[in-house]
Amino acid sequence: MFVVKAGFRTVRFIGSYLVANLQAAMEYRVAFIVQIITMIANDGLWLFFWWTYFRQFPLVNGWQSNNIIIIWAVAACGFGIGMAVFGNAPKLAALIMNGGLDAYLGMPRNVLLHVCITASDPTAWGDIVFALGAFVLLLHPDLLHFALFLLLSLLGALIFVAFLVIFGSMAFFLGNTEGLSQQMLGALVTFSTYPMNIFNGVVRIFLFTVIPAGFISFVPLQLLQHFSWPLFGAMVGFTVGFVGVAVTLFEFGLRRYESGNLLGMQN
Amino acid sequence: MEAIGKGPIHRARGVLYHSLQKYTAIMRVSIANNLAYVMEVFFRALLLVVLVFILGQLWKTTFSIRGVAVLDGFSISDMVWYLVVAETIALSLPQLTRRIDQEVRSGQLAYLLGRPCNYVFYNFAQYLGERLVRLAINGAVGAILALIFVGLPHFTWMGVIAWPLVTFFALCIDFVAYFSIGLLAFWTEETSSFALIFNRLTLVLGGVLAPITIFPEPLRSIALLLPFSTILYGPSRTLVHFELDQFALLLLHQLITLVVGSLILLAIYQVAIRRVNINGG
Repeated sequence: MFVVKAGFRTVRFIGSYLVANLQAAMEYRVAFIVQIITMIANDGLWLFFWWTYFRQFPLVNGWQSNNIIIIWAVAACGFGIGMAVFGNAPKLAALIMNGGLDAYLGMPRNVLLHVCITASDPTAWGDIVFALGAFVLLLHPDLLHFALFLLLSLLGALIFVAFLVIFGSMAFFLGNTEGLSQQMLGALVTFSTYPMNIFNGVVRIFLFTVIPAGFISFVPLQLLQHFSWPLFGAMVGFTVGFVGVAVTLFEFGLRRYESGNLLGMQN
Repeated sequence: MEAIGKGPIHRARGVLYHSLQKYTAIMRVSIANNLAYVMEVFFRALLLVVLVFILGQLWKTTFSIRGVAVLDGFSISDMVWYLVVAETIALSLPQLTRRIDQEVRSGQLAYLLGRPCNYVFYNFAQYLGERLVRLAINGAVGAILALIFVGLPHFTWMGVIAWPLVTFFALCIDFVAYFSIGLLAFWTEETSSFALIFNRLTLVLGGVLAPITIFPEPLRSIALLLPFSTILYGPSRTLVHFELDQFALLLLHQLITLVVGSLILLAIYQVAIRRVNINGG
């Protein structure tokens, strides 16, 4: 009962920040709308190009040109949810370096969760709208597939955020890892939007462990095409484990954190 | 009479020489600034490694599935070298629009306007310095990667000589576009969205993922006509697959794009500069 109550409180806490961040973005209504439209156009342009490419040069091993739509939709939705809800995660390394965690340490909530949900990336809403639009309008899924798509995107979002937390937390041990964190995120996003069929051997192992692009787009693609409980279990298991690694690394690093005696307000 | 005739020409030469010296000095400072953070630039090259690796794998798979050694005149070696050159140019782009946008919004532009140099040329010199450092480092990383991946390239000496010229024009076209977009901060709340769209159009229709001639019709004809092809596809093809007639066409296309773009930039700049209010300080 206590766990349920705590979970409900956490969801309400995240929801409150999400609404506040959305209201803040809406203060600049025109800019916010332009950013969303731009992101939809950006994602749409890439998807159009790759759809055209794979129609011209189809890959074998059961690859269909529609698969690129699923890959892009699930990766964009996962990334969008991650950055819309946990939009401060990319700034974790900078906060650690500048003593920016001080503002969160005295608060009663979980530090890592609080840091991550404080900001939201307005362009992420464009990714979400694009992903939902592309999946529904181009693939016409039934309700069950749509629900599965949302669930898999949510798990993808957690993987994206955990990935950022892992590389951001390295700042506790290695100094400024902001650039590394950004580059690694770029690599993860890039690998997530290409068919896994073109990689093999060591690279494939790499893409299911260090840069888990396989769990962001490839496994969801398999599940949406041919659902199986063992694969779904593997997806959930990996996500829980990966988030666990991220949280443990952050908590371990937090013990080494040195306050910068920074005076400021949490924004 | 002769002395009178030479006067204006000499003066013009002097002005040109001093201007060139001034902007070269700004460019040198920009190069030095960027070399001071050379490791950061190397870090950025990580994405180049990832992209070339993925696209190289994609093309290797495509060639092997089709069972061909050459696709539209490109062997797998040519294709990888093409990707390296195109990605090197594309990923060397600095955050020009954001800088101009911030200078306009923060009012720093007003201070720069008071300096004894032209605001546009000042920014061009700074941009060129930053971009050349990135281009050199990306080029070195990309070349090592391509050598490991497919071995030595089959460049012709004409292509090697022509490449710096067409690449310079490509960098100029990029500058004109992103600078103009940055100046839009005088009127709009948000310029990064416009820069993002221009950037994505340059990448997708400019041929960063594959030579445009491989695109299916009508995408191919449209992409070849648009100015984006003069930024990435044109210079990359010149180095990898030099053809004299294509080179001449590219130069013409680049010059037309540059002239039209410069006129648009000047028009925006002239209107924008009238909106600057300097209230002492």
